[in-house]
Amino acid sequence: MLKRIATFTMAVLLIVGLSLAVGAEKRAAVKLFTGKVETVEWMDDLIKRFNKENPGIVVEQEYQKDASNVIKVKLASGDVPDITTVWDQGFADMGKYLDLSNEARWWSRIQPAIRDMCTDLRSGKQYRIATNMTMAGLFYNKAIFAELGLKEATTWEEFKANLKTIKQKRPGVAPLFMGGKESWMLGHLIEFMAHGVIKQQYGAMGSRQAFLANDDSKLRFDAVGGPMDIFASRILELKNEGLLNSDFLTATYDNQLEAFATGKAAMISQGMWALSGVLDKNPDMKEIGFSPYPPIVNGAKPVVLAAEDSAYLIMAESKHKDEAKKFLDYLFRPENLKSYSEFLKAPSSFTDVQADWGPIKDSVAQALKNGINIGFTTEGPSGFSGDDAGRMVQELYMGKYRTSIEFAKAYKAAWDKAWKAANK
Amino acid sequence: MKRPASAPAMLRKAGSHLHLLMAVPALLLFGFFFILPLTRGIWLSLTDWNGVSKASFVGLQNFVDFFRDPRALHDVLITVLFALGSAPLLNLFGLAYALVLDHEFRGRNLVRTIVYLPAIISPLIMGYIWYFILQPQRGVLWQIATSVNPAFSGGNWLAGPRGALVVLILVNVWQYVGMTMVVYLAGLQSISSEVIEACAIDGAGYFQTLRHVVLPILLSSSVKINVITNIIGSLSVFDVIMALTEGGPGYGTESLSIYIMRMCYGSFTGYSTAVALVLFVIVLIPVLISLGFFRSAEFEA
Repeated sequence: MLKRIATFTMAVLLIVGLSLAVGAEKRAAVKLFTGKVETVEWMDDLIKRFNKENPGIVVEQEYQKDASNVIKVKLASGDVPDITTVWDQGFADMGKYLDLSNEARWWSRIQPAIRDMCTDLRSGKQYRIATNMTMAGLFYNKAIFAELGLKEATTWEEFKANLKTIKQKRPGVAPLFMGGKESWMLGHLIEFMAHGVIKQQYGAMGSRQAFLANDDSKLRFDAVGGPMDIFASRILELKNEGLLNSDFLTATYDNQLEAFATGKAAMISQGMWALSGVLDKNPDMKEIGFSPYPPIVNGAKPVVLAAEDSAYLIMAESKHKDEAKKFLDYLFRPENLKSYSEFLKAPSSFTDVQADWGPIKDSVAQALKNGINIGFTTEGPSGFSGDDAGRMVQELYMGKYRTSIEFAKAYKAAWDKAWKAANK
Repeated sequence: MKRPASAPAMLRKAGSHLHLLMAVPALLLFGFFFILPLTRGIWLSLTDWNGVSKASFVGLQNFVDFFRDPRALHDVLITVLFALGSAPLLNLFGLAYALVLDHEFRGRNLVRTIVYLPAIISPLIMGYIWYFILQPQRGVLWQIATSVNPAFSGGNWLAGPRGALVVLILVNVWQYVGMTMVVYLAGLQSISSEVIEACAIDGAGYFQTLRHVVLPILLSSSVKINVITNIIGSLSVFDVIMALTEGGPGYGTESLSIYIMRMCYGSFTGYSTAVALVLFVIVLIPVLISLGFFRSAEFEA
C-alpha cells in the first residue's frame, strides 16, 4: 500500500514538474537589471501591466544599489540580464551590448542631441536609449535669496560672496549643504566642477575623447593650476571659511533634502532626481531656484549638467532580444513616457512626449541658457567610480592632503591606475 | 573448482574498505566547494584579470603591488586594530555576562534575551540604527549628550577615523557579545555542580573557585571556541563597518574585506583575489598561535 502511495506521489510530482518546466519554457523570462532606485516602484507597476498584456513574456526587475559593480560579477558568473540601465565603456568595447543604431522607430522620436550623447565614441554606434534628460546644478532657496538681495552667481567670487552673506545674516542656515557621507554626491562635484573645466574647454566631443584616451595634455589632472588643483583649493576655501554645513562628513542625502526643504539650507548641489524628494518633504515649497555651478577657474563660464538620463540597453548575449525590444516598445509608448517623466521630474528625450515634469521648468530652462551644458564623464575608467572620487573629496575635507596639488597628484594616480587596468 | 565466497566473507571484505567509501561524499563536497575554489583563487591571484576581459599571468606582481599600496597597508592596520579592540572585549564582556547570568535571579531569561537579541538582527540594520543614534547633530545620543553638557556639541564621533573606529568596535562588541556569552554559558553549565560544591566545602571563595577551577575548565572548551571565532570574525569584519561608515570618512575605517570588495568591483579582480589570500594568511596566523597556546595550556593542565 505504502509503495503504491509513494509511486503515485512520485508520478504526480513528475507530471507537475514537467508541466511547470514546459510552461516556463513557453513564457520568455526577460530580466531587467537596474541601478535606478527612483524608478523601481514605477517600473514594477509598468511590468505588471506589460506582463498582463503579453502572456508569452514575463519581465522581472532586479534592483541593486551598486549596479555598475554588481553587473560585472553577473557577467563573470554567466548571469546575464536581458535589459540593463548600466552603461560601461569597457563592456561596449568588448561587444557586450546590442547595437541599437538601426532601431529607427525609436530614434526618429528622440531629440538629435540626445542621440549624440548616446553615441559610443569608439564605435560610433548607439547601444543605449535614454528616455529622459537630467540636469544638475545648484538648487537655491528663492525666498532667502530675495530677502538678502542675492543674485545667481556667475563667478567664483560672487558665489563665495553669496555664501558669506547667508552665513552672516542667517546664522541658523547652512550656506551650502552637502550630504558628504554619500561619496557619490561629492564625486558629482568633481564631475561637474573640476571635469567641467575640461568639458567647457574642449567641448562635448573633445573632452569625451580626452577622457577616453586619458589624454594627459588635455586632462592635466596633476598640473599646478590644473582643474583638480584648483578644485581642491576651492573646496578647502569653502571649508576653512565655514561656508559648508558643519556635519559635512556625516550628513546623508536624506539630511540634505530635509535641510533644504525646511529652509535650513540655502543652497544644495543636486540633480533633478532630488526634486521629488524635496517636494515629498515639503509639498508647499514653491520658492525653488536652480542655477549653474559657478566656474572654479577665473574667466571661465558657469556650467550646468544637461545629460542623457535613464538609459536602457539590451545585452548582446541576451537569449530574448526580441522580447526585450517588445518591452522597450511598451515602455516607450508616449503615455508611459509621459507618466515616467512626471514621476521622475525630468523632461523626456522623446519629441512626442509632452510632460508636465516639474514646478521649476522655467528656472531650469533659464539655467540651461545661462550655463555651458556639460554631460557626465561616461568615458572614465570603470575601476575609478564617482564613489571613489567622492571618497577622495572626503579625505581632502578631513585634511589628509597637505596641499591642493597633493590631492591633484593622488587623483591622477588613482585615475591612471584604473585606466591601465581597464585598457590592457 | 573455486568455491564462491560466502556472503559474510564478502561483507567482511567490503567492510574493511567501507569507511573509505563512506568518506567519498564528504570528500567530493569538500573538493568541490573548498579545494576547487581555492585552487581557482590561487590561479586568479597570479593574473591581471579585470573581471571581464582575458586574464594574463603576472606571477607574484599582485602581491608586490599589495605591499606597495599605502591604502592596502592602512587597511591591514585598521583591520588589526579593529580585531585587537573587538576580540578581547567580546571575550571579557561575554564571560562577565555569562558569569552573572549563570546565577538564578528574577528576570534572568529576559536579560539573557536582551543581551543575545542584537546577535540575531541583521548587522546592516543594526548599523543603520546605530547611525541614527550616533549621528552628530541629529542622532539621539548626540542630542542627549549636548543637552547634558554643551561641550559635546563639537563632538564629531563619526567624522574622524579614530573616533569612528572606536565607535565601530563598541557597536561590534555590543552586537556580538550575546554570541560569546551563550558559548560561555554552555561551558559553565557543563561544569558539574559537585565540583563547585567541593570547592565551597574546601573553603574556596568565589574568585578562588573561578580562577583555579572554572576558568581552567573553560579554557579547553568555551574560551578556545570564543577566541578563535572572535579572531576570525573581527579580522574579516565587513557588515558593521559598511552599514555605519562605509569604510569612511574617505578610506579611514576601511577594512581589508571592504577593500577586497571594492577592488573586485573595480577592474582589479585578480588583484583582489591576491588580497583575499593575504587576508586568509592574516587570519590564519593568530588562529594557529591561539591553537598552539591552548594546546600547551591543556597539556600543562
